[in-house]
Amino acid sequence: MEEAKEEKKKSEGPSAGRGIGVAELLSLLEKSKAVELKDVEIVAEELTFELLPVVLQAAAPAAPPPAAPPEEKPLELERVSFEPLTQTYVGEIAEVQIGATSKEGGTRSRVIKIGGEKSPPFYRWEQPTPWRPVVALDVFGVDILPPLPKTIKQWYMDVMDDRAAWAEKCMREYGADLVTFHLISTDPSLPNSTPAPEAAKFIDKMADKISDPFMIGSAGDPNKDLEVLQEVSKVVAGERVVFASVTLDMDLEASAKALTKSNLDVIALAFLDINQVKELNSKLLDLGVPKNNLITDPSTGGLGYGLEYTFSMMERMRLAGLKGDPSMQVPISCAATNAWAAREAWAKIEEWGPREYRGPIWEAVTGLAGMLAGADLLMMMHPLAAKIVKNAAEILSKNKLKEDWREIPYENWVAMKI
Amino acid sequence: MSESMPVEISPVYEGERIRKQDMYVELGGPNVEHKCELVLAKPMEEVEDGKISIVGPDLNELKEGSSNPYAVVVEVAGKMVEKDLESVIERRIHDFSNYIEGYMHLNQRYDIWCRISKKAFNKGLNSFKWIGMALAKLYKAEMPFIEKIQITFYTDPEKVKEIYEQALKIYEARDARARGLRDEDVDTFYSCVLCQSFAPQHVCIITPQRVSLCGAINWFDARAAAKVDPKGPIIPVAKGECIDPIRGEYTGANEIVEKRSLGANKRFWLYSCFGYPHTSCGCFDTILFYIPEVDGFGCVDRGFKGPTVNGLPFSTMATQVGGGIQTEGFLGIGMEYYRSAKFMQADGGWNRVVWIASTLRARIEDAIPPHLKDKIATEKEAPDIESLKKFMIERGHPLAKKLLEMEAAAKAEEEKAPAEAAPAAAPGVTISGLPLPAAGGAGGIRITLKGAKIRINQLIIKKEG
Amino acid sequence: MPKILRPMDVYKYLPGTNCGKCGEANCMAFATKLIERQVSIEQCPEIFEAKYKDKLEAMREVLRAPVKDVTIGVGDRAVTVGGKVCVYRHELTWYHPTAIAIDVHDEMPEDELVKRVEQVENFVFERIGMQLKLDMVALRCVSGSPEKFAKAADIIGKKSKLPMILCTFNPDVMEEALIAVGDKRPLIYAANERNWKEYAKLASKYQCPLTVSAPGDLSMLKSLCRSLRKYGLDDLVLDPGTYLVGEGFNETINMFTMLRMTAIEKEDKDLGYPLIAVPAAIWLSPKAKEDEASTKMQESYMACALMSRYADILVLHSFDIWVLLPILTWRQNLYTDPRVPLSVKPTIYEVKEPTEKSPLYVTCNSALTYFLIRNDVEAAGGGWIVCVDTGGISLQSSVAGKRFTADMVAETLKETGALEKVKHKSVIIPGYAARISGELEDMLKDWKVFVGPRDSSAIPSFIEKVWKPEMEGK
Repeated sequence: MEEAKEEKKKSEGPSAGRGIGVAELLSLLEKSKAVELKDVEIVAEELTFELLPVVLQAAAPAAPPPAAPPEEKPLELERVSFEPLTQTYVGEIAEVQIGATSKEGGTRSRVIKIGGEKSPPFYRWEQPTPWRPVVALDVFGVDILPPLPKTIKQWYMDVMDDRAAWAEKCMREYGADLVTFHLISTDPSLPNSTPAPEAAKFIDKMADKISDPFMIGSAGDPNKDLEVLQEVSKVVAGERVVFASVTLDMDLEASAKALTKSNLDVIALAFLDINQVKELNSKLLDLGVPKNNLITDPSTGGLGYGLEYTFSMMERMRLAGLKGDPSMQVPISCAATNAWAAREAWAKIEEWGPREYRGPIWEAVTGLAGMLAGADLLMMMHPLAAKIVKNAAEILSKNKLKEDWREIPYENWVAMKI
Repeated sequence: MSESMPVEISPVYEGERIRKQDMYVELGGPNVEHKCELVLAKPMEEVEDGKISIVGPDLNELKEGSSNPYAVVVEVAGKMVEKDLESVIERRIHDFSNYIEGYMHLNQRYDIWCRISKKAFNKGLNSFKWIGMALAKLYKAEMPFIEKIQITFYTDPEKVKEIYEQALKIYEARDARARGLRDEDVDTFYSCVLCQSFAPQHVCIITPQRVSLCGAINWFDARAAAKVDPKGPIIPVAKGECIDPIRGEYTGANEIVEKRSLGANKRFWLYSCFGYPHTSCGCFDTILFYIPEVDGFGCVDRGFKGPTVNGLPFSTMATQVGGGIQTEGFLGIGMEYYRSAKFMQADGGWNRVVWIASTLRARIEDAIPPHLKDKIATEKEAPDIESLKKFMIERGHPLAKKLLEMEAAAKAEEEKAPAEAAPAAAPGVTISGLPLPAAGGAGGIRITLKGAKIRINQLIIKKEG
Repeated sequence: MPKILRPMDVYKYLPGTNCGKCGEANCMAFATKLIERQVSIEQCPEIFEAKYKDKLEAMREVLRAPVKDVTIGVGDRAVTVGGKVCVYRHELTWYHPTAIAIDVHDEMPEDELVKRVEQVENFVFERIGMQLKLDMVALRCVSGSPEKFAKAADIIGKKSKLPMILCTFNPDVMEEALIAVGDKRPLIYAANERNWKEYAKLASKYQCPLTVSAPGDLSMLKSLCRSLRKYGLDDLVLDPGTYLVGEGFNETINMFTMLRMTAIEKEDKDLGYPLIAVPAAIWLSPKAKEDEASTKMQESYMACALMSRYADILVLHSFDIWVLLPILTWRQNLYTDPRVPLSVKPTIYEVKEPTEKSPLYVTCNSALTYFLIRNDVEAAGGGWIVCVDTGGISLQSSVAGKRFTADMVAETLKETGALEKVKHKSVIIPGYAARISGELEDMLKDWKVFVGPRDSSAIPSFIEKVWKPEMEGK
């Protein structure tokens, strides 16, 4: 109350007759720094205190102060047990297998499974995580390279001329679960655009050279992509590799036909619009693409450039699927590579610190955000970022933990000497 | 066809202007009395698909630089084509015509104004058949429910006049039907979730008397859109049983709202701002907001930048009202809804409106019932609540009587309060003209104790600094 | 269920006198800001009058978020955390951005301590028109000495306005610091199973918010909260432990998620408090020092992950800009209001150092549109992009809704100085806005208006096939 001032009204001392008026009090205060009164009674018809804003700010959070208990009040620990809220969901996410072995009509040496969730991502107290999210690194073909940031290029210098070796390096050395062969040179707007049959030949060669499941990335032209899909599907029929991607502006009927005929998986790519996701997925499902071959990609804005939009959209998609929307009951793909569109990832700016660190973190944070929102498949570019995200995926997907995580006592952080 | 088409057909030509010096001929426009365009739904057997007819001189027979009477009649047929869709189909003539390189199209109905550019004419756009072929192709691509289409171009003055007179009657009849079509008259509403891309739980219910919030989709548009793209965001809603005709609650609408909002919302009162109001997305034309002090509504449009009568600008209220959350007292609404007989029917309709932003008022002046025209304030007469109250009482707004009663009741309450709190103890003496230490800044807290009697063992008052 | 308030839910408890003393135009405006947590009840003087006692109580109950808001510090750098009303941000929005604290300790030489605190206090990173800042310092007691700890706290209190987190489990040490800076409302870290009685008294005596720590034991956490609540404390912060090494990261994400779900969806009042996460704890790893860059990276991305999974306070050790940048950016992203269309500032943007010969593009100021186009303009070799203020609404909607009209485009081109930036006197408008091309040409005398593609990914080929040939022909 020391900063309170009293205004307008008067206080009167009681019977003692040593009454002091407020006016007097205030003029006393004018002269001195403090006024002390003992044993007084203030009687006022109206007494107004005005707390100055500075006081208000200090006092605001405390108001109303929790009634301070009497010191002697016994403090007993009331033991209660924590019961988490456990929800159930009517829907579940389809499981998609990537790659087919010789028994299944393909020639892959191993297969990858994603999806199958019955609860939101990593809610392991509700349901176990069936399959861990997987990481795919990019390999660019057929014969040109996109402009790549130096910080990425340096990791692939020795294999740039040999796509199969590049793919092997991604998987054996950098730990990627699979690779995507991006057929960027099929882009019809390029001067020497690779014709679809030639692209198919390239894929055929890759399929021979590597025995792992893989993905095929198209250039993004609705007509050409369909041609490429049709040609490629002939050479990888039965392999159950992933074609990325089919978009709403393509001839969906023809696309679905090529996909189903050769038993390919597909990434259905929409552009940051949940309605588009819904429409595209339902159309493909209606056209006979099985749920177990469909992966959905709502587009990824990189960190700082719309990532929160993608994050919330993926959360919504996954929840909608679990709540029963069939068009959302498929695994989600997240192109964390889009993080590289941000200057923060690639630009050489001293004040922002070394880009060798900034870049991979930017991509890793993008991928992790996607994964926590529900992404099952992460498309990535930088080996270190891929390693981080894969490692996090492995850890977060554990349904039972060894208890050794308690080994380092957490409380020690307070007194640690670093 | 496109191989032989002498000019390009593409949306990039949509805004193309053809200036007088570049123009080969003018069709319709301000220099001729008779011009029009018309879409007619016909039985299958009356339409010959792809037929293009020209009645009167063709393009290459018109005099260069001349202005000519002009009528375009598009006849369509198909299992799903119906009379109610004519106007929706007709509105696309404008878009599609403008896709044609060197063909300018302005306005609609009896007011069309077209030009052919010299450049296009020289490239070979010298017959209406090209325009007809382009239109027919575009129609079938964009509105696939049209199974058959035939188009007739009229340039013969007598014929154009004849068509023109006939068209005026058709427009009038259509408008009358559109205006007169009530929610009671149909058994199908439409629901749109186009805005779920950013408003997760928002579902728009579109009825004949309630246009979409964005103002862009009326019942007829929705009907057409649902036919064009059955898998799209707009789908039909079986109206179901009417639970409450005043508030506008329908079982069918409720079911679809629950389904498409994934259970977030379960009931809609279509004609009310209270109870279970319609949700709002983020792209509504205008906001209707409750003003509790006068128990009335204010309305503001997106173009109004300043604070409204309740102190909040459009943008702040937009955050409150948006996102697909039912918000009593705040409603995003489309412009055309102000003209609906069902406008806020459950809450008193126009009689409940007390304030309209001037920018919005300019656009919906015609919707304001005559008896209220001088009784509804804008920001000019009523920038805040106090001036609004005064204005309402002065002008005798229908809510003024209630307002006066509310004021009187509040006053009585006010007077009662101190009396109750008055202490039995002897009141102190008031002193005025006290020297006050540094005046309190704005925004502080004031604590007033009335009839206080405080017993203090020790009181220390310190001065800061 | 998320606890979503509407203005009317709160308005009915306000005096309704429109006195304006809160600084808002009237009670309705105040109610609207209250539910958006931009103002606090204390700013309404009248509601504290005796006659409104019941209303005040009712309003406090209505306004109480399932995750309570807790204010740390005093003055203009005071920070409020928590105040969460929903688990998923798309359900409404997340209020009160995660507060970021940087650690210091009581064995740092005074000049070093002062320097670090000042660095934290003055840290600013400007990003898309917003100043990103750090919020607090966490003072760790390494010495074990009450005097040293109190002295360090005192120094921080005198040198800066930043709110503090006082970290020690020893009540004697804690009290010594509270004597020095208890009036600055520091966050006490932390009450645990052993010391909670003493800490309860300290929190109560000094009126400071209190962290409740029960690492890896949520039943203990709940028990402590229950007991402290019964004792009368309500400004609590929860510390379930931030285990980051190995599988600990799994457990941490799991605990944070369970706590937030349970607080909001199950309305468990004992757990309805903000969560503190300590990415700095990564430095406990025996391998932390072996590869510092890698440890810093972990601290950075794990902080981001914890923020995605509900951390309301982050305590960091690393102070390198490249560690902080992703965290600050992700916080800025996550805490934008999803109800408001994402927008960028309506102005002129440069892509790849454009010149007077570079193409000039115009589009709306929807952030998503802008980011898409920016990428494609970059692929096409760069240029100028002018964003028209459409309120963040997408291009198609704004064209349809007459918020992207020829005169708005012309005006923006003039205002942003775009017309002087290029010599070629041509501008490219989006394909979806083709209908304004003629009118725009009328308005910009002697300028050529190009109608670009509808899909921005076709921009590079548009530049090659249409724009460049035309420019060269000139």
